[in-house]
Parts: sequence; structure tokens; C-alpha cells
Amino acid sequence: MKFHMFAAIYIGSYEVSIKIFEISGKSRMKEVDYIRRRIELGRDAYSKGSIGYELVEALCETLAEFNIIMEGYKVDAYEAYAASVLRDAGNELFILDQIKIRTGLNVRVLSNSEHRFISYKSIAIREEFEKMIQKGAAVLDAGGGGMQITIFSKGDVVTTQHLALGTMRMREQLSKKSSNLEQYEHQIEELVVKELEVFKSIFLGSAKVRYLIIIGDYISEIVRKVEKNYDENTVDTQKFLKYLHRFNKQTLEEIMEELNLVNESDALIVPYMMIFKCMADNIGAEKIWAPGVNISDGIAYDYAEKNNMQKITHDFEADILSAARNLSERYKSYTPHIDALVQMSCLLFDTMKKIHGLGKRERLLLQLSAILHDCGKYISLANGPYCSYEIIMASEIIGLTHLEREIVAYTVLYNTLRLPVYEELADQLNHESYLTIAKLSAILRVSNAMDRSHKQKFKNVRAAIKGKELVITIETLDDIALEKALFNSKTAYFENIFSMKPVIREKRVY
Amino acid sequence: MEKDFTRPEFYENRELSWLKFNGRVLNEARDKSIPLLERLKFISITSSNLDEFYMVRVASLKDMVHANYKKRDIAGMTAGEQLTAINEKTRELVELQYNTYNRSLVPLMKAENITVIDAFEDLSKEQEAFVDRYFEDSVYPVLTPMAVDASRPFPLIRNKTLNIAALLKKKEQKAGMGAKGEKDEIEFATVQVPGVLPRIVPIPSRDPQKKTMILLEQIIEKNIDKLFLNYEVLCAYPYRIMRNADLTIDEDEAADLLKEIQKQLKMRQWGEVIRLEVEKGIDAKLLHILKAELKVAEQDIFKIHGPLDLTFLMKMYGMEGMDHLRNKPYTPQRVPEITPGENIFDEIKNGDILLHHPYQTFDPVVEFIRQASVDPGVLAIKQTLYRVSGNSPIIASLAQAAENGKQVSVLVELKARFDEENNIVWAKKLEQAGCHVIYGLVGLKTHSKIALVVRREEEGIQRYVHLGTGNYNDSTAKLYTDCGIFTCNEAIGEDATAVFNMLSGYSEPLSWNQLVLAPLWLRSKFMKLIRRETKHAKDKKPAHIIAKMNSLCDEGIIAALYEASAAGVKIQLIVRGICCLKTGIPGVSENIEVRSIVGNFLEHGRIFYFYNDGEEELYMGSADWMPRNLDRRVEILFPVLDEGIKESIKHMLDVELADNLKAHLLKEDGNYEKIDKRGKVLISSQQTFCEEAVKKAVKPEQIYKERVFIPAEHI
Repeated sequence: MKFHMFAAIYIGSYEVSIKIFEISGKSRMKEVDYIRRRIELGRDAYSKGSIGYELVEALCETLAEFNIIMEGYKVDAYEAYAASVLRDAGNELFILDQIKIRTGLNVRVLSNSEHRFISYKSIAIREEFEKMIQKGAAVLDAGGGGMQITIFSKGDVVTTQHLALGTMRMREQLSKKSSNLEQYEHQIEELVVKELEVFKSIFLGSAKVRYLIIIGDYISEIVRKVEKNYDENTVDTQKFLKYLHRFNKQTLEEIMEELNLVNESDALIVPYMMIFKCMADNIGAEKIWAPGVNISDGIAYDYAEKNNMQKITHDFEADILSAARNLSERYKSYTPHIDALVQMSCLLFDTMKKIHGLGKRERLLLQLSAILHDCGKYISLANGPYCSYEIIMASEIIGLTHLEREIVAYTVLYNTLRLPVYEELADQLNHESYLTIAKLSAILRVSNAMDRSHKQKFKNVRAAIKGKELVITIETLDDIALEKALFNSKTAYFENIFSMKPVIREKRVY
Repeated sequence: MEKDFTRPEFYENRELSWLKFNGRVLNEARDKSIPLLERLKFISITSSNLDEFYMVRVASLKDMVHANYKKRDIAGMTAGEQLTAINEKTRELVELQYNTYNRSLVPLMKAENITVIDAFEDLSKEQEAFVDRYFEDSVYPVLTPMAVDASRPFPLIRNKTLNIAALLKKKEQKAGMGAKGEKDEIEFATVQVPGVLPRIVPIPSRDPQKKTMILLEQIIEKNIDKLFLNYEVLCAYPYRIMRNADLTIDEDEAADLLKEIQKQLKMRQWGEVIRLEVEKGIDAKLLHILKAELKVAEQDIFKIHGPLDLTFLMKMYGMEGMDHLRNKPYTPQRVPEITPGENIFDEIKNGDILLHHPYQTFDPVVEFIRQASVDPGVLAIKQTLYRVSGNSPIIASLAQAAENGKQVSVLVELKARFDEENNIVWAKKLEQAGCHVIYGLVGLKTHSKIALVVRREEEGIQRYVHLGTGNYNDSTAKLYTDCGIFTCNEAIGEDATAVFNMLSGYSEPLSWNQLVLAPLWLRSKFMKLIRRETKHAKDKKPAHIIAKMNSLCDEGIIAALYEASAAGVKIQLIVRGICCLKTGIPGVSENIEVRSIVGNFLEHGRIFYFYNDGEEELYMGSADWMPRNLDRRVEILFPVLDEGIKESIKHMLDVELADNLKAHLLKEDGNYEKIDKRGKVLISSQQTFCEEAVKKAVKPEQIYKERVFIPAEHI
């Protein structure tokens, strides 16, 4: 068979689903089947903080059925992911254990940024996407547990922010407290608008958003109603708002009827609608695009990409770097120095490929560490490294896993501080990550030392390994006494880790 | 300007309309151009139809009366009014039925040397001897006579069984033995005519050329004194009752009714008798006892002039020899696109295939499942089963498929009327074989007919779908006219998958491509389609609807049709059974024409045609325009996409609309009349289709199944 069957299982806050894909070499991925069952895990997770046994039972049963479905399609591989709903459940580990024992499925809990990255991938592979982000776009990823807004400007990521305004979460918090639908809608609107205003004033800045791209349930149904001949194209924001406006004063039944959701038994449509409405109202986009994909498509794409079955069209690393640069700009890190540092550390990294044994992804992490290493100074000059660490840990960088973010933060921290022995960090890091951090921070530290004055005195830097020495040859006109002096004090760490001594060779240019 | 199309006077009561349908069936028995045994068959069908009608519909109405349910039906009648009207019409129908039997058919049988003796007094000496012998050998051992007296209460008389009631008197005892006072006491006794024995018993004739038969109850009556040895039998007469025994509430009534009835249930006697049939000349005293003991009302007693329960005539129809008295048997023809022995999936890939049963054989459908069960590429088979024949090859294939490691999901509808027990047996069989059996949905009957085969091929997953208007029943497919389509259209395949996901309890798909499902979307789809024609008519464009179905009694749809007609849409309906729509109402339904085809085969297909301003749309499906189909059943309506098939189906409709032999037209007065044939070429649509199918079928050069033994592969 020339194709590969893949199943994407996703455990959401109110729905568990399996999407079966056919991935073949040439043609694109094809959705073969999409099976969903409503299990409102969020009902427990968001109100009680842990998921009760009835729901776990239902979850396991459904997953066991999914196993049979996968067998039926002779699925070659699967990925099973869960997001916020399990993250927020106190009994996360026990649930995963039960799932493993009862169904044999390995479920991975995604961090928010991983989650968002995966669903972001599902739209990033679409052709329209590149055009839209060039002109400025906001991607809204609305779900049961929270919503994510990512802003693109001129093709780059400006920021991505997670707002804890999940539809399921809001329903759990509000619906019981409001006496009627109107009041309920009003409360949601207030909540969302308040958060959005903060978001706008802090993050949106001058970025111009022309397109609002929405991922989430029900949006396709709504958009299809707004534009009768909706053909995967955009709809006018004004038209969209006008359409939603007509639901004012309508009962839930009438809304469901209108949207053809006759047998859905819950009120999740209301928070979704309110979120869409507030976003359309506030973000200032002219057009709305509902690509009609969801995280399952992203999971499949992610899988195909990792297994070299799919050509990468969108440069996701560029997104990560651009997000990091925006973050560093936000904290007023000095750009020429950062650029020099990135360049320098990459040079060293590439030269030492055989010595450090790290890969492409770690190179990206090194770049990120270089870009973000100074951001903490915005808060405290003296406590810069700690603050940088905290900022990185608290900021979302779309496309990084939680562990990767941690590596970047630690690399930045031990760029300045002494790296403790492994035993002291063993509760936070595994062995491998510890080593990565050590290596990256050593490279970063040496690179940093070479631009200590932040004046980029070195030009045409070359590096080569000669015996037990890393020889860095530089051309310079300036006096580099400071750099040289500091350099020597910073190399001990490097030597310790790589068993190799970095030396500077000067080539005076007159 | 807005006209109210829902006024009760625009509608016909559905029960009365049904009785008219049964009248049309009876009409076939009265048609002199039809061979004798065929006519007997129609008499029998009229009877069995009427029995079912009583058990389901009349019983429901009785329940309503008992529950004091006052709601009126679409024709504005209360349950009580309906019962009165039904009673009157049923009597007319039964009268006509027996007249036909006694005055036309019995003499005709005589002429053909067939005698059915329905009075034992007519027997010759030898015959008498034979009958008595038969009684002692075969009948007597299985009889259970039951007498009624102070210590023995009136026994339970079973629903639909034929019984003989007798009045007895103690024989004059030898003087001095018995007490004198008991002499006059008359006792009542009853005996059931055993259902295990054939109702008609052939007996020797005086003339060997002739066929003589006697009815079983006559044999018993003749020998009844042997059952009550110490008594003198004063008189004995057969009788038969219909009970409201199963207490199923017909689903066509509202849910609030159900509650109402549940409340009443406890207070009511079980299994109330709703009809008592007795022979016309029954002894008044005997009848009085029956009436009192069975608690049956005067108006529910039917005095029958002739043998009770004419369903036995079906057995006569199957009598050996006598082929000249039957229609020539028709063999369903091969479907030209499908060559037996070839891979059916390859053939479907060549294009959608239309099947027209029973003119064309049902074998490809059986073969479809059979091949799927052994094809190594097939991953899954999913199918809905509603009414299946006893020894269904489809079930065998499904079980085989599960054993071959395919994933088999079968939705079995247990609520199919009168078939429940049958269904449970084979559903268990399937489960044992490893199939995933879904036992229907809560509150909904699954009436859709769909089969899906998922096959893994070189290019990827491919889905093959069979959609039909009739059940997956290879026996009824020889009698019911139905249509089916094989397709591997991707959009329909996706929808079919979604249908089964939904039926397995998963969420419904985000959107549908081609299929329309009841109870969620079907009604509004039909309304949309009808209103679109209305709009075209209002815009002075040509507008035309042709719809063929079994029954039409949905108020909303009828009102929409009236509106369309009033706007100028030409509407031609081919409705076999119930039709609550009235034709020829000025300003309401002048543009509507209703015809009903009752022929040798049972018209069963549902086809819907909409002119749509030249962009003709054709749909087929499992749903009638009845509230229960649109609101309380899982039904599938599918569009006919293939242009060639569209033409074939349009041709089908054309032929049926041109039928002037078997079609009855609904007149303005509510009666159905056969079409005036003067100066017209005679057309019987069923006959035409038979001939066309024969012409179309490729002559069988190959033998149906390959004569090579291929070891089954275990996959």
C-alpha cells in the first residue's frame, strides 16, 4: 500500500474525537472518518478540579471503542493528545494511568503552547494563510478550556496570548448563576470584552489586523449561514456581526434551529457565539475566515511532518524566532548586540557540531536563548538573569514545547549564574535536558563574552577546531582588551563542559 | 390572500383512506381479466390486511376512546367518530369481499373442477369416511375442547385463532341414573381449530379429474360429538376474535397520548376483544353467550356469509398444478452492469448502478455483501437491517465477514412491527459471530436502508454504498417493487460513514454532503423542495412535482402541496396506500393528480422528482410522507446523481403515470376509479417493467456462480 493510515485522537474539554487520515506521498492528507462523542470532562475539571470516575469510565469506554475503530481501518499509527482539561484535573496522572491500563493507549497531555502550535499548524498549511498573515491577521483558537489569540503582522508572529476564557469553563462558572439567557450572554460578553481590551492595549499595539481567522466549533456552521455560498472563503466582518445580532433576544432553541443544531443538548453554542462576536467586534478585522479545521488536522500534519511524509510549506521556526524577537523588543533588549550574539553563538554551535552532538532543534533553542538572554534587565538590572528566566517561563512562544521553553529559560539563567550540579536540578530536569542546558549555556557564555561591551567590535569572525582548541579568529580595528580579559574568565566553564579550550586569535586590520 | 391550507375539510381521514386502499386490493380480486388463483390471492391479502389494520389501527383508536382522548385528526374527526366510520366501511368491504368470493370465485372454481366444501353435509359416503378417518388420526389428538360451567370459567380465546363454539346438553341418562333436574341445563363449550394443521384438507373426489377440499373446521364440526361424548351437541359454529392484545400503541399518535393510556392501562382489562367474526346463521343463544363472555359490543360483531378468515386462500394459490390459473411466474432479470462472478466493486467503480426490483434480481445486493465478506481488501461492512427473511444469505455473509476479521456493524431494528421475535434470533446469531450489533435507537425506529463497505485499495480507502428504498430481504425483493443504487461516490460514502457513526451513538457530523436524514433534516428538506417549486410557479416558470410513495398523510407536507398547487405547480402523485390529500378542491388542489397502482407486485418504492426550473432533481429513499417517517424514524433520502440513472428513473415515473390497467385515479369525491381505457394503448406499468428488464438483461452465458472452488482466504 502506498499510503499510511493515521489516527488523531483528541480529548477535549467537552468532546472526545478520533479522526482517521490517509497520508500518501504525493497527494495531501485526506480525512477518512471523523468520529466524535460528547463527554463533558470539563464539567468536573473546571468546577471540581478533578475528574470523577463516571466521566473517566465514559472516557475509557470511548477510547476503547476508538481502539476498535482504529483496528477497523488498519491504522498504522496514532497520536492521542489531551489538553487543558487534563492539565487542570488534579488526578491527571491517575487518569492517564487508567487509560493506559484499560485501553493500552498512550495519551500525551499537551501544554498550552504545544496545543496551540498544533492547531495553528492545521491552518498554517493552507495556502490562503500566507497571504493573510502578510496583510496582518489574528488567529483565534477557541476551545472549551481557553482561547488563544495569535497576532501576525507582515508575515511574522507578533504575539500569542492565552486567555482563560474557555467556553466550557465559562459555562461551568456562569450558566448556573444567571437567571436567563440574556443575562448569561451579557455576562460572557463582559468577561470577554474586558480581557480583550487588556490584550489590545498591551499586545496589539500598532499591528494592523485585516483578517480574523477562527478555529473552533460551530464557526463553520455560522459562517455558512452568513454567506450562503460560502466556499472556504472569507466573510465580511460587518455581515458576520449583523448575522449574530439577529440572535439577540432569541431563545436557545431558536438559535439551535437556525444553525441546524437541533439535537445538540447544551448551551455551549452561546459562549462560542459571544466569543466570536466580541472578537469580531473588537479586533478590527475586515474579514473573517473559518478554515474549518481543528486540532485533529494539526495532529496529523504534525505527525506527517515528523515522519517526513509531508513537505513543510510554512516556516514554523521563523514563527518561533519572530515571536522571540518581539518578546525581546517588548523588554527593550538591545538589538544590535542580540544580532551579534545570535550570529556568534550559531557560528560556534555549527563549528562544534561534532563536539556537542546536538541537533537542529537545539540550535534553534540556542538562538532563542541568545535573543531572550537580556530581557530580564527590563525589570531589574541586578537580578537580570532571574527575571529573564521568569519572563521566558511566563511568556508563550508558539511552537515550543514546555520542556523546550524550560531549556531556553535555564540556558539564559546559567549564561550568567553558575550551573549547579545535576543533583540539585534533578527534580526539575532530566539528564538529557541538563546536558543540553549546560552545553548551550557554555556556548552562549563564550559568545556573550565576545561582545561584552555591546559594541560589536569583532568583524569577520571565523572559528575552527584545531586539536584541543577552539580557535576563534577575529578581525577588528577596535581595542578589544575588555573582551579579551573577560573572555579568559568565561572560558573555564566552557572547558569544563567540552574539554576544549576556546582561544581568540586577533587579526588586526588597518 | 394567505389561504389556510390546513382546514380539516381539505383532508381525508387516514383510516378511511386505508380502507379504500384495501378496497382497491379487493378490486383486483374482482377483475375478470386476472387468472382465478391470482384473484383468490387478492381476496386473501384483503383479509390479512384487514386483520393487521384492526390489530394496529383500530386497537389504537379504541385506546384513544378509552383514554378519553379528544384530539381530532387532520380531517377533524375524533377517535369515536373514526371508529364509527371505520365500522361502516369495513362492513361494506367485508360484504363485497364475501360476495366476490361466493358469487364469482366459488362458481369459477367449480368450473375449474375445484371444490371447497364448506358444509360437511355435502360430503359423499367415501368422503365422509375419509374425513372421519382424518379426524381421528390427525385432528383429534391435537384438540383441546373446553367446556364452561360453574367450576370452569370461560377460557382465554387467543387472538386471531379460529374456534368452534358449541352448545351442549347432557345426554338423556338411563332411567334412574341421573338427577332429573339437570336435564334441561345447556352448557357452552369451545374448541380451537388447531393452527398446526392445514386449514384446507384435500379429500378424494368422485371424479378423479376434480379437486375437492374441505376446511378443517368443517371436519371438526362434523365430528364434534366425539369431543363431548356424554353430551348431545345442540349446535356448533365457528367464530374468530381479534384482540387488542399486544398493547402496542401505534407510534403515529402523539406522545401525550401514550401517557394518557399508561394511566388508563391499570384500570382496563387486558386484551379487550375488538372484533368478533361469526358465521351468519349462528344460533342466537350461542352468539349471546359469546357476546357476553367476550364482552364484545354489538357493533363489533361481524356476521360472515362464508368461511371465516379467508387468508387460507393464499394456500390455495400455492396449490400444485393449476398453473394455467396463475400468472406466469416472473423471474427477476440480471442487472446488465453486473456480471455474476465478476468483482462487484470493480463494476461499481465503472459508474453508479441502478437496481429495479423485482424486475431485476436482488442477487447483486446479496452478492455485494458476500463478496465484501471474503474480499481481502475490505475492512468493514456496516448495514441497517429492518425486516430480514428467515434464512437470509445476507446475515450469513455478515457473520462470515466477522469471522474473517472484518469489522461488521449491524443496526438491527427490533421495533419492526410483528417481526420482533424473528429479529432477536438472528441478531443474537450475528453477535455470536463477532459482529457489532446495535439494537436500534431509543425512541426512534431505524427505517433507512443503507449498506456500506469500506475497502482498502491501492489508492486509499474506498467506500461502496448501497442505498435502497426497500428492506434487505431477499424474499420480499421478489414481490415488492423497490429501487436501489450502488455507488462509490465519495461524498455519499462520507455521509454513509457519518450515518453509521451517528447510529453507533457518536455525535452527528458537522455537515452532510448529499444524504438527508430524518428525523432531523428530512422534513425541512422536503418542505424546501416543495416550496422551491411553488416559488418557481409564482415566478411564472414551469414547475412540476412527481412523487411516488406508499402513504401520504403528513399534514405539513399536504398543506405545502396544496399551496404549491394553488400557485400553479403541476403535481402528480403515485400513492399506493393511504392518501389524506384530496384532489380537485377549487383553489386548493386542482393541479394535483393522485393515482394508486395495485398490481401483482406490491408497489414499495419512494421516488421524488422536482422540476426545479429545468435543473431537475431526483431523490429516492426510505421515507413516506407520513409523520412517523419524517419525525420518529431514522430515514435516508438520497439524491440520484448519475445522469443515466436519472433518465431511467424518470422513465419509470413516466410509465407509471401512463399506467391505465392497474392504476386507480383519485376522484374529487374521494373515490378511486380505474382509468377510462377507451382509445388508449393499454399499459400496465409492472408488465412493462418486466418486459423491459427481460430485454435489457444480457442473456446468461455464464453460469451464475463460478464453477471453480476457491478456498476461502482467512484474512
